[in-house]
Amino acid sequence: MTIVATDSPAAPARRAFTLRGYVPLFPPFAVLLLFFAVPIGMMIGISVQDPKTSQFSMASYQRFLTDGLIIAGLFRTILMSGLVAICVTVMAYPVAYFLARSTSRWRAVVFALAIAPELAGVVLRTYGWLIILEDRGFVNDALIWLGFVSSPLPLAKNLFGVVVGLTHVVLPFGILALLTSIQGIDPNIEKAAQILGASRLSVIRHILLPLSIPGIVSSLLISFTMAASAYATPALLGGARFKVLATMIFEQIMFYINWPMAAVMAIVLLVLMLAITFAGGRVETRLHKKLNI
Amino acid sequence: MNDIDIELICVRKTYGNNLVVNDINLAIPKGEFVSLLGPSGCGKTTTLNMIAGFQEPTGGEIRIRGRNQAGVPPEKRNIGLVFQNYALFPHMTVAENVGFGLKMKGTPRAEIEQTVRTALKSVHLEGLEARYPKELSGGQQQRTALARAIAPRPSVLLLDEPLSNLDLKLREAMRVELKEIQQQLGMTFVYVTHDQEEAMAMSDRVVVMSGGVITQEDKPEHIYNAPRTSFVADFIGKSNIFAVSLRPAADDRQEIVINGSSIALAIAADQPKVATAKFCCIRPEDVRVVGNDVSAKDANVLDGTICKTVNLGAHLDLWIAVDRDIMIKALVRSSRSNQLKVGNPVSISIAPAAIRLLAE
Repeated sequence: MTIVATDSPAAPARRAFTLRGYVPLFPPFAVLLLFFAVPIGMMIGISVQDPKTSQFSMASYQRFLTDGLIIAGLFRTILMSGLVAICVTVMAYPVAYFLARSTSRWRAVVFALAIAPELAGVVLRTYGWLIILEDRGFVNDALIWLGFVSSPLPLAKNLFGVVVGLTHVVLPFGILALLTSIQGIDPNIEKAAQILGASRLSVIRHILLPLSIPGIVSSLLISFTMAASAYATPALLGGARFKVLATMIFEQIMFYINWPMAAVMAIVLLVLMLAITFAGGRVETRLHKKLNI
Repeated sequence: MNDIDIELICVRKTYGNNLVVNDINLAIPKGEFVSLLGPSGCGKTTTLNMIAGFQEPTGGEIRIRGRNQAGVPPEKRNIGLVFQNYALFPHMTVAENVGFGLKMKGTPRAEIEQTVRTALKSVHLEGLEARYPKELSGGQQQRTALARAIAPRPSVLLLDEPLSNLDLKLREAMRVELKEIQQQLGMTFVYVTHDQEEAMAMSDRVVVMSGGVITQEDKPEHIYNAPRTSFVADFIGKSNIFAVSLRPAADDRQEIVINGSSIALAIAADQPKVATAKFCCIRPEDVRVVGNDVSAKDANVLDGTICKTVNLGAHLDLWIAVDRDIMIKALVRSSRSNQLKVGNPVSISIAPAAIRLLAE
């Protein structure tokens, strides 16, 4: 919306065909305005209505801040997304490093395997995890059969199950974010450190990690926002008890028919993601400056 | 054996069916400046990478200070390496870059500072300690890379075309400086380059490589004056190379005939015997353009026409056609350029001693 607002016509004296130059930008602006700015405006409008009388009211905001269950849902969302972001980034790093550096024929295979899960739908993959993780699922059956546990471990219908499922869904995006960053690091820099006596671990600590911080930050950001906005995976793997903002919004609309409350939750979720992205961007710029890259 | 720093014994490297380095034998004594010289794809960089430990040889043995390096990773070899693109650590200052090797060795901080200062002084970079690589010129980056490599005092320094990204003036200045630094430190330098001038200017010994084998290794002046093969003669400096056949001449002497022509040239009697000489090499500076006063008795005198001239400033490159297909290049002082115009007839003389026979 701000983009549209700042699009002020430039002084005609400086450039004659200013308006014509902007013509190609109109279709995307129109699309953004219609499908992005207008709905968000409507959402903000709905959020300040009273659920029953449709009069102007901040009641839903008030309830969000005072209702312990909703606040718990917010913190659960942050915890879940944070865990997913960390798990994805930690797991994606070695894969991205391999893809960035390898010249082996397996590179193409690994790349395909890393990206292939995206071809299957989220719902399909989530059901897959449910089959693996539920009480009568593959993992629990195996553990019981092997005698490690006597009763099923709670692997699904909780935070653990959702984090596992979401990590799987988001992983390819983390890999791609890190891959771009690691590919930008000259392999000779690692070699130079090595010949100067740095062990593999020292190369990672002193060279690789500092230089790939931009990639790490963007992987964390992408993973966090994707996890926070995911609906299907927490809905299926989280069960009735594990509620996050995305599933709570759905509940408010479908079960309670409370659109204003749903709108408030959606706005909080949006602000949360904007704040994280902004903070991440700030951190990245500062590190960029500090790292001189 | 103690003063041999690096020894390559029958070292070979293959990638699939591709033989990159073919049974190389080389011994580099301590404190020597050795250049591995050859065109791209001759195996010189692969050889360097094997010495550094980034690649394992497919066969043979690499010894550093007498110890077999099979399975020894690069970080345990105590070798310095200067990369063509410098590969400085962009997130570290000049001082941190130069001190990195010492830090990895666990050297105390005060000692690191001291050594960094000394290293930066030896490459004339005092005062730039706090700069980041991005804030340095190409030449300064190059010096930083050099300081970083020599600061931990490796016994051997490998240099992979370190000057090729610098402009000509700086490159020539750095040649002199590199040689000085090497002599000051008494360090063994292994210098990989495709630039024969660099190799000639700095090295105690030049190892010419081609197609994965060592074609010739010798002092620079010997390589230039006595190339063993037509490849070396052609690669090192400029030369006239002709396919020739030998034939006996009067007084037990021998002469050569340039194949496909009627030109016969007398060769020196003390010419090292090359029983199966196939080529001869004549350096352009040994081809003398003579006037009417031909007095050199022993010289081979040929008449020809100037086909092309290139003014190099102090010197003039001449292409002289002496027979239908035979073109001889000559290098003369520019002061005579007004007589040497394209199309003018000219006589040239070649001393028999200047003609070198080559077996291959």
